[in-house]
Amino acid sequence: MLDFALYVATIAAVYALFALSLNLQAGVTGLLNFGHVAFFGVGAYSSGIVALHGGHWLLGVLVGVVVSSLLGAVIGRLGRTLAADYWAIVTLAVAECLRLVVVNEGDLTGGPQGISGIAGPFSSVSGLAGSLSWLVLCVVLAALAYLVAETLTGMQFGRVLRLLREEPMLAASLGHNITAEKTRVLAVAAPIAAVGGSVYTLYISYIGPNQLLPIETFLVFTMLIIGGIGNNRGAVFGALVIQLIYAGSRFLKDIFPIPDQSASSVRLLIVGLVLTAFLMTRPEGLFAEKLRRIDVHQ
Amino acid sequence: MFISRGVGKSFGSVQVLRDVELEIEPGEIVGLVGPNGSGKTTLLNCLSGFLNPDAGTIEYDGTRLDRLADWQVSRMGIRRTFQTASQPMKMSVLEAMLCGAALPIGSAPVRGLFRRKARAAEQAAAVGKALELLDFLSLSHMTEEPAGRLSGGQKKLLSLGVALMTDPKVLLLDEPTAGVNPTLRLTIADRLKDINANGTTLLVIEHDMGFIGRMCERVYVLDKGSVIAACRPDELKDNPRVVEAYLGAPRPVHVATGVSRP
Repeated sequence: MLDFALYVATIAAVYALFALSLNLQAGVTGLLNFGHVAFFGVGAYSSGIVALHGGHWLLGVLVGVVVSSLLGAVIGRLGRTLAADYWAIVTLAVAECLRLVVVNEGDLTGGPQGISGIAGPFSSVSGLAGSLSWLVLCVVLAALAYLVAETLTGMQFGRVLRLLREEPMLAASLGHNITAEKTRVLAVAAPIAAVGGSVYTLYISYIGPNQLLPIETFLVFTMLIIGGIGNNRGAVFGALVIQLIYAGSRFLKDIFPIPDQSASSVRLLIVGLVLTAFLMTRPEGLFAEKLRRIDVHQ
Repeated sequence: MFISRGVGKSFGSVQVLRDVELEIEPGEIVGLVGPNGSGKTTLLNCLSGFLNPDAGTIEYDGTRLDRLADWQVSRMGIRRTFQTASQPMKMSVLEAMLCGAALPIGSAPVRGLFRRKARAAEQAAAVGKALELLDFLSLSHMTEEPAGRLSGGQKKLLSLGVALMTDPKVLLLDEPTAGVNPTLRLTIADRLKDINANGTTLLVIEHDMGFIGRMCERVYVLDKGSVIAACRPDELKDNPRVVEAYLGAPRPVHVATGVSRP
């Protein structure tokens, strides 16, 4: 039971990284990136492939950070020629392309079976100490990501992103290059998700193409909507809430007569119900985006 | 010196601007008037880089502007406001003001993240300037309010303030007093004169001829996309083409009935 609780908390911290990254794009900048899972995938597969070739796990994380940032910049660059809605569709396509490449390039990625037996930083630490080490690492990373996201949102960089989300013409009239800003935020936000993907892969020591399905992106969007889109604290809490729903639904079959094979469908049903309830009664989420106070006496 | 030569712009088959010639000397306040649909806003969009003209050239101090992007023109010190002054809902008035400032360290995601002190110092200077400007525009009491919740007139003032954050050389104003009550209108006129006295060149689109008369030394009149007059404001009412553009052509009156005929 304790192991399970530690597992849930660790995964929640990893998902907080994804949610914070998506919040910088969708919440702060208003960029509906429906292919967010691609950044997770780049991090995850960088770690997997580097491990497969006997490289150090830290190298895998580093490769993921660099490649995801480049991918983010490329996707952001597409926004120069595409309107917001078409851009959103293209992001979905980019992520699906990546998944299909992963499925078909078996020599590099292990194909549909994925890569297993990936050694992480605490592979030699067994039992409770190992679980605790993972939890501490992931919570520290999530806290760090929160600090970075919150600082970025509050400083002029994020202020301009928030302005171009609400009033793009006004932002342009004040000398802000909208397409360049969009490219920059994707290049900065992507590595946060990639680190999450790397850590996730190293933690469960496995990565497969099914973890790159579009549903993963929409799950993170659900976290943002429940937590409060545009608010970094909301992103973290949204990740926690969804993770608790996922974990809690495992016990439903002990109470209700639910067949084992439909347990995962029931889980999605609950997430859908909670999402609908929030959209109907509290569309701004648990933590609504607030005005930022500027310290006048600095 | 702001010069446009032979500027033309079409949307599909509609020619909105044709052969527009315009010269604005540094430090001038120039009015731009004309009936609805005469192309005033389109011309301002061309001058500010929001539209690139199909024909002709636009120069500022020897630099061609007609192929630059909106943000590049803005960074040259040529700033504009909009007819509908929208402001962000999720930002305080003070934060909206800071959006108009140039904060190089805070704008750089990686450098800004690590250079906390330099970032704070840079912002503190901008905050000081923003508070001064808000005071100048009688918006001091609204500093912490959501910018998007201000009244229409206050939003016009705020847009002016945001545009002034970098001390622009030229301000292009699209109806700065439309929909504003007469008292506030006078305030805006006074403030614009102060801004001009500090060396900023102004081009003002306005329908209120009284306002134009008080503010401007020279005025351009647009009709159907062409400049039909460039003169002093007090000469407007004696110019038959201007009167015709605004009031329509005089029609022969039937002597017996007094009814005009087409």
